[in-house]
Amino acid sequence: MIELDNVSKYFGDTRVLDGVTGKVNRGEIFAIIGPSGSGKSTLLRLIDLLDTPTGGAIRISGTEIHAQHEKDLSIRRMMGMVFQKPAVFNATVAENVAVGLRFRGASKSEIDARIGEALDTVGLASYRERRARTLSGGEMQRVALARAMVIEPEILLLDEPTANLDPVSVAMIENLVVRINRDLGTTIVFSTHDMYQGQRLAHRIGVLMNGVFSQVGTPREVFTLPASREVARFVGIENIVEGVVVSENGTSAVDAGGIRIRARSPFGAGEAVSLCIRSEDIRIAPAIRGRRVFDGNILPGTVTSVVPRGPFSRVTVDCGFALSSILSWKKVDDLDIREGSQVVVSFSPESVHVVRRE
Amino acid sequence: MYEIVEGVLEALRLIVTLDPDVMAIAVRSIVISLTATIIASIFAIPLGAAINFGTFPGRKSLINLIQTLYSLPTVIVGLLIFLLISRVGPFGFMRLLFTPTAMIIAQTILILPIMTGLTISALSAVDPVIRDTLRSLGATRLQFLVNVLKEARFAILATVAVGFGRAISEVGAAILVGGNIAASSFASSTRVLTTAISLETSMGNISQSIALGIVLLVIALGVNLAITTVQHR
Amino acid sequence: MHVLRYFCLITMHRRIIFAVATIMVALMLICGCTGTTTDPTPVEKQQLRIATTTSLYDTKLLDHLTPIFEEKYNAEVLVVSAGTGKALEYGQRGDVDVMMVHDRAREDTFIADGYGIDRRVFAYNYFVLVGPESDPAGVKAMAPEAAFTAIREKGMADKNVVFVSRGDASGTHSKEKAIWKAAGFNYSADVQGSGDWYQEAGTGMGATLTMTNEKEAYTLSDIGTYLAYKGDLKLVTLVDEGDILLNVYSVMQINPEKFPETNSTIAKDWINFLISDDIQKEIGSFGVDKYGQPLFYAAQNDWEKIGVAEAEVKNPVA
Repeated sequence: MIELDNVSKYFGDTRVLDGVTGKVNRGEIFAIIGPSGSGKSTLLRLIDLLDTPTGGAIRISGTEIHAQHEKDLSIRRMMGMVFQKPAVFNATVAENVAVGLRFRGASKSEIDARIGEALDTVGLASYRERRARTLSGGEMQRVALARAMVIEPEILLLDEPTANLDPVSVAMIENLVVRINRDLGTTIVFSTHDMYQGQRLAHRIGVLMNGVFSQVGTPREVFTLPASREVARFVGIENIVEGVVVSENGTSAVDAGGIRIRARSPFGAGEAVSLCIRSEDIRIAPAIRGRRVFDGNILPGTVTSVVPRGPFSRVTVDCGFALSSILSWKKVDDLDIREGSQVVVSFSPESVHVVRRE
Repeated sequence: MYEIVEGVLEALRLIVTLDPDVMAIAVRSIVISLTATIIASIFAIPLGAAINFGTFPGRKSLINLIQTLYSLPTVIVGLLIFLLISRVGPFGFMRLLFTPTAMIIAQTILILPIMTGLTISALSAVDPVIRDTLRSLGATRLQFLVNVLKEARFAILATVAVGFGRAISEVGAAILVGGNIAASSFASSTRVLTTAISLETSMGNISQSIALGIVLLVIALGVNLAITTVQHR
Repeated sequence: MHVLRYFCLITMHRRIIFAVATIMVALMLICGCTGTTTDPTPVEKQQLRIATTTSLYDTKLLDHLTPIFEEKYNAEVLVVSAGTGKALEYGQRGDVDVMMVHDRAREDTFIADGYGIDRRVFAYNYFVLVGPESDPAGVKAMAPEAAFTAIREKGMADKNVVFVSRGDASGTHSKEKAIWKAAGFNYSADVQGSGDWYQEAGTGMGATLTMTNEKEAYTLSDIGTYLAYKGDLKLVTLVDEGDILLNVYSVMQINPEKFPETNSTIAKDWINFLISDDIQKEIGSFGVDKYGQPLFYAAQNDWEKIGVAEAEVKNPVA
């Protein structure tokens, strides 16, 4: 549906996008995630023809959208967009929602009916004649969503639609996004810096970093098999250890500062790699001599910090490099873990995701 | 002191009794300045929009020039128009000197820069997200312009009010190109509030001046009060 | 080039252009040409533009005469009141049809230069030297030249003695300069800029009188304006006798050969109207009921006294 072919955008000397390549399929929800300033908004604006790329091409259904200006309007009218900052016209809620239909010359009765439906969908039917400026941020954003979807676009672009909104509004908007996609089959591309939102909503995710898609894949792929150290860090993998691949008895092993870690890796000996290990996959136990039945990585170490985090505690252990895990308070108490405790850290080779270091 | 009290009392009598002379001058002032404001709006608002949304070399300098022209001295405008429409001037054949039309032209030119400039300010103050939203909703260029203007309507309205206020309170150009004529027909006369105040004061008719002054004040302040009220609605 | 695109776009929307144009034309019609379009009389009213010296306007003499003329000739009279100098300037630019002024010398030049024709003298009166009742320069009942000399001398010594000049190249200003000259002074060297005692108002007769009153100063005024303003003034007449104080008002039309669009017919009507017997009587009696004496004298039978040819006061122009 949407093809991004080596898209770049410079603002003066600043490279915001530097060769983005990827594809959004018809009918899917595609999330662009990435840190602030990574160019997510720019990419969406390029797709919506609000900006012109410096290089590369964007194609929708095979048509290069920036190629002919005469077609701007018809291409743009295939799409709807909601912006990060809730913005409404200084008019009633109904008039706000009607704008796109008016532009398309819809009849008054049709406009009336469609506004009704759209406001029902976003749960603002009773606000129809309210001045839109008097609404809360979350309500304005729902008006914006209704305004964008009432024109029944083939593609809905949402630029961080829930940033700065209260949790109730966030949930409502997320719910709407899923329903619009499911009920109308609308292709939805949204950007977010909240990776969990990406995970919750998207069929596929593109991780935008340093001006390119570092990785495009299903949420599962992105979260468990990050393509690079940066992606790993961004998707919330706390433990990243640098090392070099060595061979050991036919299975891969990585030398991390003198410590051997067993892992599954496609890379050959001598390759510099980063090891990504999720906190959830790391177990911490008291140092008990003589029990080494576990066929994985077992590393002795010293607890350097115990930091509360919600109902859990983050326990960091120095095993030559720092590894951290999440333990419940009860477990921390039971195991009598405190700063300075001697512990063993264990994790299976399968839980280690190895990525090449660039 | 006595003169002022006496003058004010007489002025109030002239206003309360709707003195025909005072009313004719007031109405003429309003008609002339309102017309000038409307014509200036017809040019200034699209021009302001074109400059605000246009991208062309020298745009910044043009905006600076327009802002400089805010302080265009009124007598200079008057002199310029006088030279142009005087019989020996290039537009002399139109016989416009000493007509209300001449005053309308002068006032239009006088307020054109400030109205254009304020239109630019009004439009550039519209939230960029609003502009993006309009584009993303598939607005044609005209639909876009109309809707941005609509969004800036209160600021534009204030612009129009400023233009009108400046036009109606202006005296230098009005007296040069109008000639302060009190003719027997309403439409041929060029005596407006400001020129009449100037004349009546110099002739020592203080109460007449005060009455006209009060009317001018009420009109000038009233328009702005009305606009402010609308804006806060 | 976006501007161009906007304008292209505008041309695409002919309907809007048309609407705007319609509004503008309508506005022009309403505001510009109403003089001819909204008058109930089917016959188009002729407009007569007069540039007049301020004294004829400030005394309300023209306000008194124009309605009579307007009714008789189905015309509309537009009066621009300015000093003689400015009136001559308007005439020279062709901005008016008729001029009413009082400065023989400059009128002669104006006619000689071909700008004005058909001059007729329709009224005269006298200039008066007015000043505060206390008369700090002690000029009461002096000859004009002697009074001026005294004011100048006292003014240089005593800051309470001030002379306010019209200072606007008007007929009155010309007369004032002529008196300084007759008194033996070089105007620009000995009078203008010789001290704070001599102040130029740069404005009309009425305004100058008002200003002189405020400053308790002396000024030269035509008797008509002075009488018309007397009620509001504390100034008194100090000098009113002397041949040099004679003040002659003429009317002439702008040469239609120079300015073909000039409304020559109605201009001639106006001139003949002013020297007609009825109007001469009106002029001679104007203000008597209010001020107890006439503001102007009719020129008709006093041509010898004024020192002009009989034809210039009596013969209608053709």
